[in-house]
Amino acid sequence: MRLLSSIDGGLILSALLLAAIGLATVHSASSELPVDYFPRQAAWVAIGLVLLVISMSFDYHVLLDLSVVLYVLGLVSLVAVLVFGVVRGGAANWLQIGPWQFQPSEFAKLATGLFLARYLASLNMRVLEIRQILISVVIVGVPMVLVAVEPDKGGAAMYAPLLAGMLLVAGLRMRLLVTAILVALALGSGIWMFGMRGYQRQRVLTYLAPETDPLGAGYQVRQSKIAVGSGKLLGQGYMRGTQSQLRFLPARHTDFILAVLAEEWGFLGVAAVLGLYAVYISSAARIAIRARDRAGILLVVGLVSIVCFHVLYNSAMVVGFVPITGIPLPFLSYGGSFTMINFISTGIILGVDIRRYVNR
Amino acid sequence: MQVVREHRDDLVSRVRVLTTLVTGVLVAIATGFWFVQLVQGDYYRELAENNRLRKLPIKAPRGLIYDRKGRLLVENVPSYNLTIDRSRSDRLEDSLEFASGVLGRPIEDLRKILEGYQGIPQFKPVLLAENLTLSEVARIGVEGLRFPEFEVEVQHLRLYRHREQTAHLLGYLGEASQAEIEEANGSYQPGDMVGKKGIEQTYDAKLRGADGERVVVVDSRGELLEEYGKKPAVPGRNLTLAIDLELQQEAARWLDGPEKVGAVVAMDPRNGEILALVSSPSYNPNLFARRLQKGEWKALIEDPNHPLQNRAIQNTYSPGSTFKIIMETAGLTEGTFDDHTTVGCAGAKSFYGRPFRCWRAGGHGSVNAHLALKLSCDVYFYTLGQKMGIEKIARYARLFGFGSPTGIDIQGEKHGLVPDPEWSEKARKQPWYPGETISVSIGQGPVLVTPLQMAEMTALVANGGYKVVPHLIKNADLPPPEHVPIDENALRTVRGGMWAVVNEPGGTAYGSARLPGVEIAGKSGTVQVIAYAQRLNTHNLPFKYRDHAWFTSFAPAENPRLVVTVFAEHGGGGSRVAAPIAQAIYAKYFGIDHGKSPPP
Repeated sequence: MRLLSSIDGGLILSALLLAAIGLATVHSASSELPVDYFPRQAAWVAIGLVLLVISMSFDYHVLLDLSVVLYVLGLVSLVAVLVFGVVRGGAANWLQIGPWQFQPSEFAKLATGLFLARYLASLNMRVLEIRQILISVVIVGVPMVLVAVEPDKGGAAMYAPLLAGMLLVAGLRMRLLVTAILVALALGSGIWMFGMRGYQRQRVLTYLAPETDPLGAGYQVRQSKIAVGSGKLLGQGYMRGTQSQLRFLPARHTDFILAVLAEEWGFLGVAAVLGLYAVYISSAARIAIRARDRAGILLVVGLVSIVCFHVLYNSAMVVGFVPITGIPLPFLSYGGSFTMINFISTGIILGVDIRRYVNR
Repeated sequence: MQVVREHRDDLVSRVRVLTTLVTGVLVAIATGFWFVQLVQGDYYRELAENNRLRKLPIKAPRGLIYDRKGRLLVENVPSYNLTIDRSRSDRLEDSLEFASGVLGRPIEDLRKILEGYQGIPQFKPVLLAENLTLSEVARIGVEGLRFPEFEVEVQHLRLYRHREQTAHLLGYLGEASQAEIEEANGSYQPGDMVGKKGIEQTYDAKLRGADGERVVVVDSRGELLEEYGKKPAVPGRNLTLAIDLELQQEAARWLDGPEKVGAVVAMDPRNGEILALVSSPSYNPNLFARRLQKGEWKALIEDPNHPLQNRAIQNTYSPGSTFKIIMETAGLTEGTFDDHTTVGCAGAKSFYGRPFRCWRAGGHGSVNAHLALKLSCDVYFYTLGQKMGIEKIARYARLFGFGSPTGIDIQGEKHGLVPDPEWSEKARKQPWYPGETISVSIGQGPVLVTPLQMAEMTALVANGGYKVVPHLIKNADLPPPEHVPIDENALRTVRGGMWAVVNEPGGTAYGSARLPGVEIAGKSGTVQVIAYAQRLNTHNLPFKYRDHAWFTSFAPAENPRLVVTVFAEHGGGGSRVAAPIAQAIYAKYFGIDHGKSPPP
């Protein structure tokens, strides 16, 4: 197997190490919860590894050829979730099929990435034209709007880095970029005034001035910072974080897992984890750079953009830089669909890499 | 090999730029962690170890409940509980000794209570004793300075002012069950007291309001350092019921006593407002406000008369002769009989080769529609029933609301039963016998109704064919009542017959329900509990073999404003036992002193 020997060690090792750290931390974070999420998360990781191998073994050109079908399937499942969805935590973003529940938005996101990569790869241009940009926006916009009306605005926001990363790499005129940023600012203020629910606005406000809502999100930020800060350099020790503090964090095994880790392992633990993410991201970038064709580059960029955004946003949130939103940390946070999707995209990235010499 | 240029170099350089950007942000975030963990680390470590943020609930006061005239039915009264924060105690043994002295309880009891809380963090206050007397509260307040670990918590308990008299309609509170917590989608917390029955249950969301909370910073000794934030509680909304306390109490008085088992419903036929709803025997809901003692619960559950059951909606009975109201309306509407059709009654008549008796052995002679109701002639209705057939009878019974819940705003309503051949095949796995139609014609056989369904049926006759939805709340937001396809002339004849029952000499309730000053129209019913042949003398029969008594009625006969339905389980004859109770309620409602009081 000449193919396997060319697997990028940095990418796979960083993913595996992060997943292992995640498992240990999930176990610690659930110690005060009614259930230990460790066995379930271990199962998700195991399934994820199988999915990684499967998705790596597919030639990504086949995936790109199928991307229209996958994209349409993704849209159908998003519509289905609007009609038959199971409501959890205020948003109907779960689909129940027999005993299985899954979040179609995760899979639709992957399909959208494939479809957009195929579209952008077909354009042999140095920079994109306005029309092509608009088509790209529509390709991403349709599933994004469907997710947003669930209403899962956090999930919808995840489509933005996908689009941004791929467009930036596919090529935008500088003048256009500046205009886009200005338009985004205008849109943002519009959404603030008309498109947000009270609690969402409150979250943003709380970020800007935490003392305005000490009971809600401000309370969580404070709890998170107390946990992170009390870790100091070396941490309080594994399973020995003052969970009396973190007990008040509603999602410490998911969204706030980094706060648990920071408290127990200190700055060294955080630095190690962020370092592993840096390894993961730069390995993916290396794979993109040496990919065989335009499609490969764009596909890898799209997938890794999503991971980047999750990592940057979640870690910034835990340390109190940005408002609290339900954005989990790849490979570390507990979650079935999310864990599986991260392994699948890692598999696809590796699939691009092992085919860099192969001619089709 | 064909090399595709694909502007590769451009793409690659952009990937490099982006990677650098992302790495830069990652470094910035890592710097943030460095700042929080290393520069501010001591500050946060101290916060984590020495100071604590605590969330303290602020309970929302539950809404009060008033009757239609603004008289208070339920209020909240303070009750004092003793809690202990074990982390603040210097020596737990001393603390318990002090508490034991104040409460007059052996110290072993208190120790045992604390053992039950071993899994709970030390700083979390735990409940040591409930319902402290004011003098105990005062002693803890004064001497408690030496024992800061104790705290007296004020908890508001529901006080049902009229106890047994309003128990079934108001219901009571209890700790939310696991199922209720899950169903409530986040509005119930474990340990919350929620409505379990009656009005308290139906309108729980309105009554409960929303609890608030306080976040306070406390030091390691648990002393409050500062209030960090506060969300005030939103008090529950008050409710005004359609109930008229005076009528409710009058009905309750007449049903109070040993061997007084039954239900009374008083309703406004124009809009379905319930003015009184009583079930007997009853229970004292104030017992549920505090933790129920084991013996008390057992006594309630094992009482053969089931005091927890709301007989007005949860028990079903044969309607007996009251069913003749429906029979006559159906016969006249369908044209099977008209007002002048007469049936000869000789005390019995043979159907399908079997004799069916009239309640009056001597017979009623020639009976028309008016007389049939007034005298409650069985033979007339046997004949009518045979001609109409069970299908039509069942259809009209359903039109009157039998066989389905009325939709009253308390839970637990029974459907009752309107039998027909289809039901017989399905439920009994046997064919419908024609003879059963004859029995059903006088309200015997498998027909079953709740007293509330009976009241709803009577209201429909009284208001000229409108099906009102009975409700306990005043100013309920309900759709306009539906008009039932029943002949207006038929209803007029039936109302005339019911008027004659009470107001014409010879009517079955002439002696027992007539009230000078207001014209009551009604129909009595007697339901045999054991077969006719085995009976000797009703008076000497043991309680459980005595007949059930019905009386359902409205007044004034013209433009009725009140429907009263009385059911007395094993009461004896309908006109003798049930009619006087209805009479007393009308007397109260119309302000007439008729000089009667409940028999002992």
